[in-house]
Amino acid sequence: MPHLKSMRFMPWLASRASWLGRAWDFERGVVGGTPWRGLLPALLACGAATLLAALLLRVFDLSNVVILFLFTVVLVSLRWGRMAGAVAALLGVVSFDFFFVPPIFSFHVSDTQYLFTFTLTLVVGLVTGQLAARLREEAASAAAGEQRATALASIASQLSAASSVEEVQAVCAQAMAPMFDAQGYLWFSRHADMRTPMVEGFDEAVAHWVGEHARSAPCASVSSGAWYRYVPLISPMGAGGVLVWRGDALASSLGHEQQRLLEACSALIGQALVRIHFADMAREAQVRVEGERFRHTLLAAVSHDLKTPLTAIRGMAETLELADALPVGDRVAVAGAIRHQADALHRQVINLLDLARIQGHGVCLYPEWHAIGEVVESALASAAASLGERCIHVTLDADLPLVQLDAALFERVLANLLDNAAKYTPCDACVEVGARVHEGALHLYVEDDGPGLPAGVDAESLFAPFARGVQESAISGVGLGLALCRSIVEAHGGVMDAQAREPTGVRFAIHVPLHRPPMVEPEPQ
Amino acid sequence: MTRPRILLVEDEADIRRFIRLALEREGMAVFEAASALEARIGAASRQPQLVVLDLGLPDGDGKGFIQDLRGWSSAPVLVLSAREHEQEKVAALEVGADDYLTKPFGVPELVARVRAHLRRASLVSADGAAPSIVRFGAVAVDLATYEVSRDGVPVHLTPNEFRLLTALIRGQGKVITYRQLLLSVWGPGYSDRPHYVRVYMNNLRQKLERDPARPQHLVTELQVGYRLAGIHPGEATVRSVLERGLEACHHASVVDVA
Repeated sequence: MPHLKSMRFMPWLASRASWLGRAWDFERGVVGGTPWRGLLPALLACGAATLLAALLLRVFDLSNVVILFLFTVVLVSLRWGRMAGAVAALLGVVSFDFFFVPPIFSFHVSDTQYLFTFTLTLVVGLVTGQLAARLREEAASAAAGEQRATALASIASQLSAASSVEEVQAVCAQAMAPMFDAQGYLWFSRHADMRTPMVEGFDEAVAHWVGEHARSAPCASVSSGAWYRYVPLISPMGAGGVLVWRGDALASSLGHEQQRLLEACSALIGQALVRIHFADMAREAQVRVEGERFRHTLLAAVSHDLKTPLTAIRGMAETLELADALPVGDRVAVAGAIRHQADALHRQVINLLDLARIQGHGVCLYPEWHAIGEVVESALASAAASLGERCIHVTLDADLPLVQLDAALFERVLANLLDNAAKYTPCDACVEVGARVHEGALHLYVEDDGPGLPAGVDAESLFAPFARGVQESAISGVGLGLALCRSIVEAHGGVMDAQAREPTGVRFAIHVPLHRPPMVEPEPQ
Repeated sequence: MTRPRILLVEDEADIRRFIRLALEREGMAVFEAASALEARIGAASRQPQLVVLDLGLPDGDGKGFIQDLRGWSSAPVLVLSAREHEQEKVAALEVGADDYLTKPFGVPELVARVRAHLRRASLVSADGAAPSIVRFGAVAVDLATYEVSRDGVPVHLTPNEFRLLTALIRGQGKVITYRQLLLSVWGPGYSDRPHYVRVYMNNLRQKLERDPARPQHLVTELQVGYRLAGIHPGEATVRSVLERGLEACHHASVVDVA
């Protein structure tokens, strides 16, 4: 082509290129947009090219100016797509003919060789325009594809970290929602307890239908005017899961890419839900096995430790029934022994019930702000019978702050420790209970000066259920007390341990974190 | 002196039996009832001076019975309840019960409580005007002049501390719930802030108890409320100890109940 060969450097190209750089925007391209969108810009671009050509014609040859129109076609195609490019090519030729080819301002052509130029320009314009547009579309689609892949990878990694339906919900709301410019919710037609509270306009009947028939449904809410899209989730737990999207972006039919993205997301969520479902099942099975084992050990221990006092009580009661020949002193002693056995039985039953409750549904706390001194006072009162004549020291700082705890359970902890001290120490032992604040925590201790832990017994092993310092000793009591104490203390966010006390005895220490107690308004003076 | 009449409401026959034996040995006349209906009939026909009531009855809860009884009688009600039912205990105390015992309880404890409440009831009915000076342990409280002393040494109480102490004294050994104390000291706006009572109670103990860590008089009923133990109307000795003159001797209505 002679025109192209004679083309010279054009200074306006630089400024044009910078404008192009600013306006270039692959993110929001024609992919998914309407084909007629670029017509007005094409018209304007051709007008601008005509004006520029009119200026350039003073310097350049007419044959060079036609290249300017071709260049415009390429730019318009790159920016606004095929249709705009084709229109620009046509307009460029028409404009070239009308404004520049003699006779000017007429579609007549004096020199027939221009007909050849027109045809060639039009064909070259159309072809390069189409090529440029396709390049642009491919670039845009590659960018979109990459974006989608990144988004999906990020969602997949977030979903793989999710360990509960709630966390999947959160990923759905936080990570997926921005991708579709909509809000996402999970809904289960057969698990009412797993549904999130829905926004206005959500149609449960539609969601139910989608969940049951596993078919997607776009829908507009009549009452709120908001757009919804219900996408079924494939899940084997038969939960009839539905992913509900809400947003005005869903009003128009989704583009192919968006549709695929939505399907991919649904599949990911479905997989995550399946994984969580099976993980839960495995965990439940594990818990059941542990529970069985625990129950077995418990039954064995309980049947021994409950039957022993029961046998004693029954035997002694029968002795009293036939007590014609029994001296009064013996009768009183037997009755006293019955009372002791009944008290021991009572303590064991309380511990068993508490432990069963805790094992059943975890420690359920009813915390309130309590004065620890009052809890100590109550525990001492309830352990008074078993402590008997032992000397008791209570060391409480006068300015102990209020502590947030479940007083009934904490009283059990202290009463158990005191009962324990009574059980394993001689009658003339001393028991000390104390509390002080140390480094932002409440430090509680119960110690005795009895014989201490038997040699070779690890203090930590005392806290395992059914552990006892001396195996099968004459002292009854399912080794539940300390296990119970530790679960209760830990439920309060505290720690509990046992140490040997110098020179003799054992010291049980409890640390409970302190929080800022509620305000007590000062008294008006 | 006639034998005190006790109404015993309990559906378990064996528990009824040993309570009855224990109280009869103390020289009391015990009438038994095994249900709320029998209790209502018994209360109306026997006019008991004290009621021992199990909260879990087969035909309705004991609370309703207490409410009915309070409509026409001020006889002390001693509630028997299981450990797990803190809320029931509190509710029973708030509708008018005087005290509670947690099952299983010891016989000596039961007898002591019954006797204490009978004594208190006879005092209140014998002498309508409450004495102005009250003593417990080494503490003497003059309700008329707001003076408090411990071992003869004046103790300064803030107005709220004094009001709290008075509320306990007015209870005459009854268990008073947190809510009742909050209502009478701080007013209705504070009824959900039991920590107020706990903070002020600690102050009172520091000021009045010999060993605040092991209080003998300002006794905690954990998760229920407080009770003033060992209370008795005192002679007018506070002021003489304080050497404020002898005009306190005019408190002729003071009764001694040793």
